[in-house]
Amino acid sequence: MTERLRQTVRRLLAEDKVKVVIGYGASKAGTPAPPIFVTRPEDADKLEWNDRCFANLSVYLTRKEVKALGKAAVVVKGCDERALVVLEKESQIDRSALFVIGMACDGVGAPKCAHCQVHVPRFADEVIGTQAEPPAPPNGPNGLDRLMAKSPAERWAFWTAEFSRCVKCYACRQVCPLCYCERCITDKNRPVVIDTSATPKGNFAWHITRAFHLAARCIGCGECTRACPAGIPLGLLNQSLAQATVENFGYRPGMDLAAEPVFGAWSPKDKEDFIG
Amino acid sequence: MSTVLSVADLRGRIAGWIGEGKVVVAPVEVGGRLLYQALSAASQAVFDARRRPANSIKEFFFPRHEPIFRYRLEGKEIVLSDVAPEEREQIVIAAKPCDAAALPILDHVFNWDFEDSFYTARRARTTVISLACAMEDDACFCTSVGSGPADEAGSDAVLYEVEGGFEGRGITEKGGGLFDRTATVRERCEDATVRSLTVAVRKGEIAKYLEGNFESPIWKDLTLACLGCGACAYTCPTCHCFDIVDEGNAAGGARVKNWDSCQFPFFTLHASGHNPRSAQPQRQRQRLFHKFLIYPQKFNAILCTGCGNCERNCPVGLGVRKVLEAIDGELRRVDEKEPVQA
Repeated sequence: MTERLRQTVRRLLAEDKVKVVIGYGASKAGTPAPPIFVTRPEDADKLEWNDRCFANLSVYLTRKEVKALGKAAVVVKGCDERALVVLEKESQIDRSALFVIGMACDGVGAPKCAHCQVHVPRFADEVIGTQAEPPAPPNGPNGLDRLMAKSPAERWAFWTAEFSRCVKCYACRQVCPLCYCERCITDKNRPVVIDTSATPKGNFAWHITRAFHLAARCIGCGECTRACPAGIPLGLLNQSLAQATVENFGYRPGMDLAAEPVFGAWSPKDKEDFIG
Repeated sequence: MSTVLSVADLRGRIAGWIGEGKVVVAPVEVGGRLLYQALSAASQAVFDARRRPANSIKEFFFPRHEPIFRYRLEGKEIVLSDVAPEEREQIVIAAKPCDAAALPILDHVFNWDFEDSFYTARRARTTVISLACAMEDDACFCTSVGSGPADEAGSDAVLYEVEGGFEGRGITEKGGGLFDRTATVRERCEDATVRSLTVAVRKGEIAKYLEGNFESPIWKDLTLACLGCGACAYTCPTCHCFDIVDEGNAAGGARVKNWDSCQFPFFTLHASGHNPRSAQPQRQRQRLFHKFLIYPQKFNAILCTGCGNCERNCPVGLGVRKVLEAIDGELRRVDEKEPVQA
């Protein structure tokens, strides 16, 4: 698959179809494959594909330093590709000005893949590889099921302990392809909306607000959990809201090109039973 | 005479310190990570010379959040009050030498034109017991910045891994109260712990290179993947930037010191709207310049212990070592073009 990927990239750059390819580079065994930016056909051989290609590279498509490089091709896994669908629905990317290289993925390892629903990209301009085996259906309760089985008091204690380690480095926000705001609400200081302090109050306010902003938008790539240097399972917050979105609106972000985003559309069928 | 201490012996000592009302900090398994934390029980402490915690010990001297004074409104008067200092003694045990070595480096900036009494008080009431290191991974480069796996800088005592457990050696007066200062264990252990590390950054030349390369394509090429989070700075033993904000309401509140990072775009945003570091490569360049040029010029000390936490914690695998390696490569290329006369 790596060779086919390199061939495709070589051709795209040689034919000037794109100016830059965002892909994964080489890394030593056991360490994540770093994102690299290939601009010359002869550098296509620097690209790699392996089970350490964790990062969701769609995050770079909204960065001004990357946009400045010109028309891009991006290497995505099935999970990452869902972000492209949401970004297009939210008018953040022009899909026609983007070449998507989809990699059929057998998984890059738990916990990132625990909730994976798409192993083979479906909307890519070119899909490389086929999936060796269809993924095994989830077996037994997942992390969210186990958490939701606890009482509210136990869940509060769980999150209090987890958030106590948060140092507000914002790695969760920066790796998230859907946290593209130029000025995040937590960076607003006239007036202050969320305490910048890494205190229980400041940390609860930050993580709950971020989860709300990702409700019906999070595509479950799990990058927030992977990036957290304190090991906080942040994805659980988003999964909880994703589950509520499915239950109440039958909507899974990034799964269906025709489906209108929950927050971007109104339907007479929308539930109103929460209105007292 | 030396004594070999088992993990159980060390935990016994910790239990004693906790019993005396001291705060004891050690590496702990939590959230799938090894993190330095204040212990609630001695059994939590992990003694492993082959692993590195994902955070650093700096937060026990320079907390991520610290009130510096409080205010309250009484009628038409604003009443200010000092924050009561924490008076409990603190012991940090099983610190990596690359964490302990950061303390004498940080002492410069916290006692420069102004003495930061919060920091210096914590330094004075804390004893640091490091555990000589026996690991090396791809992110490590301590020997490249003048440190090493058995560096004693910043430590009051050092534990060395020996057959059957650990031996301690006191270094300072404080450490001498806990472990024998005449123990010779270091000499026996050094061969086993000092390894050759990958990066051969030539100390004197890095600053010179930076001075001549403020504008260089190297910054953009190396740092385009940087996503601009603070994981590197916040897990770095030496990064020490903070922001001062007022938190509270009209009735009362506090002025607090919170960690900040030069990797955030708002770190340098002016009230006018101008931002002198408007793009991520400029912010990465600043981080390197501060560590290897500005701080050494001012305090004659490199603001880096080579611990590698920046790279290990970076979501996209960047880090100081990678930039240093690239600079090292540039310097070698120059050498090849202009051979040094013998």
